[in-house]
Parts: sequence; structure tokens; C-alpha cells
Amino acid sequence: MRAFLLACLAIVVVGAGGYFFLGALQEPTGVAYTTDGARINVDWAWRPVLNPRNANESAVSELCDKRKTWQWIFVDLGRPDGESTVCSDSQ
Amino acid sequence: MAMIWARIRFFVSVIVFFVFATAVAAQQPSSVDPNSDAVHEQQLLQQLNRIQGLGTIPDVKSYVIEQPMGRQWREFHEVWLHWIGAIAVLGMLAVLIIFFFTRGMVRIESGRSGINIVRFNAFERFVHWMTATCFIILALSGLNITFGKEILLPILGPSAFSSWSLAAKYAHNFISFPFTLGVILIFLMWIAGNIPNRVDIEWFKRGGGIFGHDHPPAYRFNAGQKAIYWIVVIGGTAVAVSGYLLMFPFYGTTIAGMQLAQIVHGVVAVLFVAAMLGHIYIGTIGMEGAFEAMGEGTVDLNWAKEHHSLWLEEEKARGGPTQLQRQPWATPAE
Repeated sequence: MRAFLLACLAIVVVGAGGYFFLGALQEPTGVAYTTDGARINVDWAWRPVLNPRNANESAVSELCDKRKTWQWIFVDLGRPDGESTVCSDSQ
Repeated sequence: MAMIWARIRFFVSVIVFFVFATAVAAQQPSSVDPNSDAVHEQQLLQQLNRIQGLGTIPDVKSYVIEQPMGRQWREFHEVWLHWIGAIAVLGMLAVLIIFFFTRGMVRIESGRSGINIVRFNAFERFVHWMTATCFIILALSGLNITFGKEILLPILGPSAFSSWSLAAKYAHNFISFPFTLGVILIFLMWIAGNIPNRVDIEWFKRGGGIFGHDHPPAYRFNAGQKAIYWIVVIGGTAVAVSGYLLMFPFYGTTIAGMQLAQIVHGVVAVLFVAAMLGHIYIGTIGMEGAFEAMGEGTVDLNWAKEHHSLWLEEEKARGGPTQLQRQPWATPAE
């Protein structure tokens, strides 16, 4: 009986050691299976990818004229004079 | 002017697009070859045995879109493992029940002598009970993973079954450590007495004395006990290694490796449980005087003469009467 009780005590002690051991080594699923390598870059645009010729112009929105609402509604494909062609490429 | 031409070009483009789209849609049914390899999923999957895409995150295994072996693995753990486990565990229980009601308890034929001899010391019993207690917890919590959904869920209900399964899984993980320690200690502690020898062949030829009233000679461990020892050592190692691979997913293993680890873990575990049912039977209600060996550490002298005669001779030669102790109830009245 004493051997059995000591065995139970040992199980609790070693099991508790296992608890801390696993706690130190294992990660929650949300951490283990995600990566901070996947992040959305808000500055990224398709334009340089689709139009490599103008890649150096990049898609800096300040270089392009802001379209007015009516231009979007009525699909005005016109390009203001002096504006880069990259501003007219579809995303 | 440029604006007008731009709008004209746009509307013309839209009209042309719709005309072509309608024409292409009308031709679709006849343009697809139904016998093409591409439309047979099975043939498609067999091209590389898996279909893998490209990804930008470091977790390369996430690029695997199709993994056909996963279907076989699912078939295994949802169907085959259930059958293997049910046949092994219930089959062993049925055999033991039939055996008990036909053969009955194996008695000490010459009766109790009243003199006990030390069979297992305190440390051996400590290790045995540590491993055995862990095994029972691991077996119950492990069987819950395979059979709990079918057996316990309808009885307990989703909430209670969920709480129980969560606690059981944690216990399964943490108790694995003392169990592994116990298997290692058992291996080291009893290896010397469990090397097979010629006496074991004779023991097997005579059926271990289970049937009839035969008592084949044996050293400290007979052939049946040696079989249990090696099942514990080899089976325990297999479930421990495969279990730790499952506990640390994809640390040195691929998807296929994880599936293989789960298959080994599941099959060995249910066979292990079946074998231990036999061990528990013979150590309790199956044989008179056997439980005392692990319960108190001693056995009756006549029990030792009948079941481990060669070991008793060794013990007598080694320790003589100092190893023997008379039970108080067996002391003759004065």
C-alpha cells in the first residue's frame, strides 16, 4: 500500500513537471500556426507588377490626379494632360 | 474630342465583349472533353500523389492543397482503428470471461504454507504501481479519443463530454512523463531476469500449467511474464515515441510522418490495452496468491514452489531462511 501511495505521489510530481515542461516548450495554436511574415502592405499595388515599364514610377498616389465621383460613375477613361500612364492602369 | 473617342471606344469594347462571351458560352458544352485526364480527379491526384501550390508564408506544409493519403488516414482512424480496438479489447475480455468460467482461479494446489518469501522489494513495487497507474489513466483517456464520441457523447451530452475530453487530453499529455519514466525503470530493473532461455520453451510446450494441474519450472519470471515484460518495454517505447511526435507536431516530421505516428500510436495502444487486460486478470482473480507479490511484496512458499520452482531454489541458495517470514496466523498454537 505504501508503495502504491508513493507511486501516486511520484505521478503527481513528475506529471506537474511535465505540465511546466510542456508549458515552456509548446505554443498556443494561434501562435504556432501563424506567422508575422504575412502582413498586408497598404502601400502595395498591382501597377508595378502589371506594368514593369513604369515600375520606377511606382504607384505613388500623389502623382496621380484624384478622380472625381462623377468620373468613376460614368467611367471616364480619359487621362489628364501630363499625368503618368501608370495612373490609368486598372488595379 | 479625346473624351468622346474614349467613350466610344469603351462602349464598342463592351458590346464586342458581350458578343464574344455569348458565343464562347454557347460553345462550352462541346469544347470540354469529358474523357480528358484533367477531369478525372483520381488521375489528376495520381500525377504527383499530391497537389502543391506556392505560398509566401514560411509554413511550407501549408502549400499542400491536396493530400490524398489523408483520405486513407481518415479511413484508418475513423473506421479501421475502431474495429481493431473493439476486436482486441472486447475479444480479450470475452476470452478472459470464458476462461474464468471454465478454468476458474488457478489455486495453490498444496494449500498455503503460512511461510512467505520476498518476491518484489519496495522499489520494484513502487515502479510497477507508478507505471500501472499511469497506464490505466492513459488507456482510459486514450480510448476516449477513439471511442468516446460513439460511447460517451450520447450518454454525457456535448457539454459534459467536452469538459471530460479536455481534462482527459491534458491528463494524457502530462501523465505520459511518469509513464515513460516507469517504462525506462522497468526495462533497466528487470532486464536481467527477462532474457529468454531454454526453460521458457519447455514452459510454453506445457502451456504454462494454465490448463490441468501441471507446474512447469520457471526462474523468477516465467515465459508468460517475459512476454508481458517485452510487450511493456517495446509497446511502451512505441507509444511513448509516437506520442511525443504527436505532442510536438511537425518537429522533424512531415504530414505523412504525423499520420504514421498516429497510426502506430493508435494500433499499438489498443493492442497494449488488450495485453494488459490479460496481465491484470492473471495478477488478480486469475491466480491465487499472485496479487500479493505486488501488493505486499511477498508470496507464499508453496505458490513459489508451484510457479517459480527454479527461482525459489536460487533464493534459498542465496539467502536461506533469512528471506522467509512466517505469517502470524500460521504460527502453531501453544
